[in-house]
Order: sequence, then structure tokens, then C-alpha cells
Amino acid sequence: MKKRHFDKTARIIENLEIRPNIFLMRLACPDICSYAQPGQFCMVKSGLVQGLDPLLRRPLSIHRCHRDTGEMEFLFRVVGRGTKALSMQTSGQEVELLGPLGKGFDLKPTQIPIIVGGGLGVAPLLFLAETLSGKKGVAILGAVTKGELLRLEPFKKTGLEILVATEDGSFGNEGLVTSVLERLLAKLDDRAARDVAVFACGPHPMLRAVFSICNGYGVKCQVALETIMACGSGLCLGCAVRSSGGYMHVCKDGPCFDASRLLWE
Amino acid sequence: MTKENLSKDNGPKLDVKIGGLRLKNPVMLASGTCGYGEELSDLIDLSALGGIVVKGISLEARTGNKPPRLFETPCGLLNAIGLENVGVQSFLKEKLPWLKKNQVTTVVNILGNSIDEYEQMAALLDGQSGIDAIEVNISCPNVKKGGVLFGTDPKAAFEVTRAVKRACSLPVIVKLSPNVTDICEIAIAAEEAGADGVSLINTLLAMAIDIEKRRPVLGNVFGGLSGPAIKPVALRMVWQVSRAVSIPVVGIGGITTYEDAIEFLMAGASAIQVGTATLVKPAAGLDILHGLVDFMLQNNYQSIGELKIQD
Repeated sequence: MKKRHFDKTARIIENLEIRPNIFLMRLACPDICSYAQPGQFCMVKSGLVQGLDPLLRRPLSIHRCHRDTGEMEFLFRVVGRGTKALSMQTSGQEVELLGPLGKGFDLKPTQIPIIVGGGLGVAPLLFLAETLSGKKGVAILGAVTKGELLRLEPFKKTGLEILVATEDGSFGNEGLVTSVLERLLAKLDDRAARDVAVFACGPHPMLRAVFSICNGYGVKCQVALETIMACGSGLCLGCAVRSSGGYMHVCKDGPCFDASRLLWE
Repeated sequence: MTKENLSKDNGPKLDVKIGGLRLKNPVMLASGTCGYGEELSDLIDLSALGGIVVKGISLEARTGNKPPRLFETPCGLLNAIGLENVGVQSFLKEKLPWLKKNQVTTVVNILGNSIDEYEQMAALLDGQSGIDAIEVNISCPNVKKGGVLFGTDPKAAFEVTRAVKRACSLPVIVKLSPNVTDICEIAIAAEEAGADGVSLINTLLAMAIDIEKRRPVLGNVFGGLSGPAIKPVALRMVWQVSRAVSIPVVGIGGITTYEDAIEFLMAGASAIQVGTATLVKPAAGLDILHGLVDFMLQNNYQSIGELKIQD
């Protein structure tokens, strides 16, 4: 059987703090890069962690994959000791990577993609946008304020139409990404609605609202979820999420789900 | 170099026996940390290990506890999975064939709500080709009826062990809970009921609180603590139990490096299981095995049994 995932040590090429506490790490890992699909993730541990604490690797979605050079990018926020250690790393240092893991986005039914990213939710979506590059589609990106918008420039280069929402109105539409999405979907006739596929990642309340809007317009919707994980590969069953068919696991059944299969309580 | 050492004819003898269960080496993967084997197959050769203990299975499938189910603590992992599993019939139909085909020495961890259920499970597994032994879980702390009731009372431990032994001809290992006053008492009860070995420890009952939300972190409130944090406790218990019973002891609890494994073998364990370490690094078990072989070669140990500290 062909190997589908790898446990590798990868060298960091660049690690930049692009916003306060938010880092963009670029590293070389041709093996993982050549198999990765948009929406998949890696379990990552900083090479600076020599002892047993923090113990576990951290799940980070694959932000970008340059298949020609074998380079990958992660976009992450420092939330605890694991991501803190990763943030302190510099070029030339190493990280441990297990991946690519999980189910990525299902790209088969995609005629007109609409990508919706809130805050750091853009992390798995740039890889998706670059994969869909050339299609007639839209990316809606949102943040609290202009200064917190992430990765606008590379999204623009994908050729997708870019719509921006800031909660304080400092850039683009004032309000939430969900309002922009709703206005967009309201313009579609029934036939167009069938051709649209929404791909969303962001805070849980945003995803719930995105699904609810899509559901109202009869539009297919996939979401990428984030949870605490221990193994990332279906061993521990710790990352359970409720679905219509009982518990599913974010690491194996996801992180990308058909939103209609999840229970949005 | 380590791989060569493994296959050398004049290298140390690594095989161990637990009753009728023969392991080619003493390194196994612990239940609940290696799925049903196949999940790890991309990353490691499971047949090179002594064996694996599959995720605990029950008569009927179980859905598990409500999330959050995990929380990382200093050098440790808190979990409250709640024995989510596919049920024995699905295991036999969908999981066992892969293990058999890939020649993985397979120990099936079983759990039940009643002695009758344990007995039925044992009878169902008996005679199935591809199953090498049963590990009786009387120690999961995360469900009310997770077997822990049987693991905290010597009389109940005796009853359930005897029922399983009578229902099957497979080697039976009883997995013990550390959440008791005297673990030796339970181990002796299992031995008297005919167990071929005991494995210890399961996780330590524990919890964490989210101080911002002012509530327990885990959906189940309590969970089981595993990982390096519990190793010294587990080692002490393995030392005690291996001196209290004459059946083989399988050491479990925070084993992360080959040095950890050697400590357990010196304390009196005949074999060891690697648990949480596999979640962090899938090849942890194989790394431990290679490190163990190198250590034995360098220090002129001829067999696993020679490592044990005689007192």
C-alpha cells in the first residue's frame, strides 16, 4: 500500500510574526507537500521542546503548499506552550511534522466556490483558494478591524473575487462575513444556488451562522473545524464532535465536514 | 545498527511468555492508544512489535463521552473518551482480518457491564483465528459501568476473571486500576481466579478546572491521567505487584523512552506497554525496542528475565 502520511523532521525557512501573536512559518517538507490536500493538517512539535513538556504535538492546518519547491506554510496564533515554542523558532531550526492528516475539503461538486474565512480561519483557506485558482468564485474575508485582516494579498493573487468585512467598518463592508455571504446568496437564482459551494473556517458561532444561511438558500456548505487533539490520527478518539449519525472525529472524519451532517447546538 | 542487532542470531533473547501468550519481544502498544492497528500502518511495522492491545471493545458498540474529552497537563494527558468502540461483532468482521493478514500479535481488550457480558465476550473471541490473548479491562475510570467496579473489589475481580477463564481457552491478562488502596490485593485475586498475567496501571483518576469558565474542563468532569507524569507511580505499583504474585506482570504507565521500559523490566515486569507516547510519536514503541536491544547488548544481558532486580 502506498504511504499516505509521514512523520518527518522539517527545516524552517522563515518564521514571521505577521500580526501580534500570529506567525507565518514556512518550511521544507516535500513528502508531506506532495500528498497534502486543502483542508488537511499536520501535528506539529517544535524542535525546541527537548523534554516531555509540552507533551503533545499541536494540530495546525496546512496554510499553503508549494508543490514545485516542496515548501509548506502554517499560519498560527500563540495560544499555549506548544504554539509559544513554535513561535520562538527561527530559520534553520527544525520541527517535527506528522501529516498530511484528516479529510480535506471535498472539491468534486465545486462549480462556483465561495470561501468564507473569519479571523485566523483563513489558515486552511489559502491553500484551498490557490487550488481553486482560475475558477469563477469569491473569497469573503473578515476580521474585527482592518489591522487584523490576514493574508489579503495572497488571496487577491488567486484570481477569486475578494470581498472584505470588518466589524468596525475600517475596511471593506462594515459588519460580519456572514452578512456579506447572505447578500451574495440572496442574488442567486435556484440554478446558480445549485452550482455554488461554500467553504468556511472561523470561530464556531460564525460557522453555525454560515451553515444556517447556506441551509436557507439550499447551498452546499463545508466547514473546517478546530478542536483539541492528542494524536491527530484516529488512535485516541479524543476529538469527538456531534453529528446526525453520532460522534464523528475531527482528525479522521474531518477536519472538513459537510456542515449539514453536524449538529449545531 | 539497531535493526541489525534485532536480527542477530547471537543477540539477546527478547521473547517472553505470559501464560500461553508468546511475544517475540516485550514491547506492546497499550489499549486505547493504537486504535485497531490499521490506523498506524502507514507509519510503523506493527508486526515487529511484541504485540498490540486493541482499543477496548464491548458486546455492543459504545458512543463514548461528551466532549471535551482531552486536556494536556504538565507531562501528562487527561482523557475521558468513555470507551467509544465499534462493538465485538464489527471488530471481528471489520478490524480483525487486517490484524491477522499483517501478522500482528493481537491482544483484545474487553469490557462489560456485568460478569455475564465479560463471559459472553470471551466466548465470542474464543477460537477466533488472529486473536492471541484477552486483556480484561476492569479498570477504566471514565464510565460508570466501565468495569472499574470489578477492578476495585477483590471479590468482583476474582469473579470476573474466573468467568472469562472458564469461557475461553485464550491466555487472559487482567488490567488493573491504580485507583485502589491496595493494588496487590486485586492482583492476587486475579491470580487466584486463574489469570495468566496482570497488566498495570490503567490511568489515574484525575481532573482539571477551567478557571475562566469556572467549570471542569472535561465533559465527563473526571478523566484518566496518563503519560510521563504517572510513570513513578506505575513503576512503584509494578514493583509491588510483581513481588505479590507469581504470574507475569505487564508494566504500563508513562513509558516514553527505552530507559523507562528498562526500569519497568528491572522492577519486575515481563513485558511493557507503550501508551501515550505513541500518540505523540507513532514510532515510539519501535524506538523503545531498538533502544532496549542496544542496552542489553552493551550491558551483556542475555534475556529479558535477567533485567529483573532480584531481592
